[in-house]
Amino acid sequence: MFPRTSVCRGAQRAIRRQAQQPIQRRGLAAPASGSFQYQSGDAKGVKFASRDFAGPTTTLALVSKAGTRYQLFPGLTEGLEKFAFRNTNRRSTLRIVRESELLGAELNAYHTRENLVLEAKFLRDDLPYYVELLGEVAASTKYIPHVYNEEVLPLIHFAHKQFLARPTDMAINSAHSLAFHKGLGTPTASASTTPYTKYLSTDSIEAFSKFAYAKPNFAIVANGAEHGELSKWVNQFFDEVPAALPADFPPVSEAQSKYYGGEERIAHDGGNAFVIGFAGSSTFTGKFYKPEIAVLASLLGGESSIKWSPGFSLLAKAAASPGTHVKTKSAIYSDAGLLYTTITGSALNVRETATEVVKIIQNVAAGQITKEEIQKAKAAAKFKELEYGQDVKAGLELTGAGLVHNTKAYQIDEVAKAVDGVTEEAVKAAAKLLLESKASVSAVGDLFMLPYAEELGLKV
Amino acid sequence: MSAPSLAPYIAKRPWLKKWFEPLAKWYCNAAGYRQLGLRADDLIPEENDTVQLALKRLPPKEAYDRVFRLRRAFQCSVSHQLLPKGEWTKPEDDVPYLTVVIKDIEAEMKEREDLEAMIVSKRERNAKEAH
Repeated sequence: MFPRTSVCRGAQRAIRRQAQQPIQRRGLAAPASGSFQYQSGDAKGVKFASRDFAGPTTTLALVSKAGTRYQLFPGLTEGLEKFAFRNTNRRSTLRIVRESELLGAELNAYHTRENLVLEAKFLRDDLPYYVELLGEVAASTKYIPHVYNEEVLPLIHFAHKQFLARPTDMAINSAHSLAFHKGLGTPTASASTTPYTKYLSTDSIEAFSKFAYAKPNFAIVANGAEHGELSKWVNQFFDEVPAALPADFPPVSEAQSKYYGGEERIAHDGGNAFVIGFAGSSTFTGKFYKPEIAVLASLLGGESSIKWSPGFSLLAKAAASPGTHVKTKSAIYSDAGLLYTTITGSALNVRETATEVVKIIQNVAAGQITKEEIQKAKAAAKFKELEYGQDVKAGLELTGAGLVHNTKAYQIDEVAKAVDGVTEEAVKAAAKLLLESKASVSAVGDLFMLPYAEELGLKV
Repeated sequence: MSAPSLAPYIAKRPWLKKWFEPLAKWYCNAAGYRQLGLRADDLIPEENDTVQLALKRLPPKEAYDRVFRLRRAFQCSVSHQLLPKGEWTKPEDDVPYLTVVIKDIEAEMKEREDLEAMIVSKRERNAKEAH
């Protein structure tokens, strides 16, 4: 069929190419090891981890176990987050900002349900400066009333307004609070002004900072820094932070977060969001890790990985119109998780899609999944996990949290391996379990249109 | 807001301070604001941005007390009277509560101006690399 010469030429070229670059060949989905792995260590009680990415920049983060889950009063985490990089005993806010500008760096602070993260991105040479800065922020920030009133409070207020304007955020937070009540269920932004008008003051924030920045309660994680260097500087600059948790703080309960479930409906005129949640898996570093939940999440899926196409996952076909978005996510925390599907769009479409989604979940729970679909889902889950691992920001937080909670770094290679090892039976068993527990259903938007969980056939 | 003053020069030299202290005490008393129940810091002109900001930064209790003192003094002044002797400001109560805040704000502004006027030079190593 083919002229002989052309076949030969192709083969020759192929051989030549192989001979040229024998080392760079790698199996398709085998993760690069080495640079992917975190090295962890301990410097005078401060846990730290680093991986030495080749590259001119470094990302350094202080990950503290002080997310909204651990706050004693509502709003404390947010207050502490907004106080990051403000006046310290040695430097003013302005000086910190200007110095970072001159060094060409980026400072950032954010919080999640479990962690408070102070992050700095900078050129490799500036590592000592930023380790020192993080040490300073942790140990000697001045919590002054006028800074709180003039700079921190308006930011909290903006966050509150922003939260109220986003139905999806509201629905997800509401689903979490249905699922876990207190602790993990605490919303990440305040839904009313009560938290910061009633509970928040510089004194309470300062007291909380002694908890958040105590040595056993935070970890330093670096991407693109040499381990020895980081170890040296962490040793030097974290002497002033408290060595132990404050004695007058109630100890954080070690019991596993209990899953409750239920239904909540919130009227909103800014859009429609519908969240259906089930008990999920903890992080890889936690004790209740179930890789099959990640596979199940990508099996249900909903979001397309290809442009201009609805995608091939089960829920992708359920969307009632192109403007209706369905997305399944497995939110993982240190000791529990929530597998949830978010549906957004116009009220009528959300209603139709929700009905369809529940039908598909019921089918999946009944074991009607083909082997091929599970294979696809596994590949997608593994890709997502590895891609997530390359994303510096995600890795930083998970690794830091892993170190603080169970002194184990988040090794993405191993997570990928765990996902690989998921069997068909495990996925089916996990799917069956979904409908056995109660669901957490939250509807935000036009309540006249949005369905009740009961109507959909869910147990709440 | 501060006018040139010899006070720091005198305060630094103990012998001179000892000399001037009685004079200063006499002067504060003769100035007459204590007889109206005011403190020295109540007399700082407030018609400028720095002092306005400083007033905003006062803790609620102190801001309230300040307004009370000012109104009481105003009443006294209008009715051409002094307060009964028991209500005069005692020298130990006459502490600078506003000056501290104003000094902080001035330091902040000075720092900002210094940073604005800064001349940036390259790090030696980087400068060499880039010729």
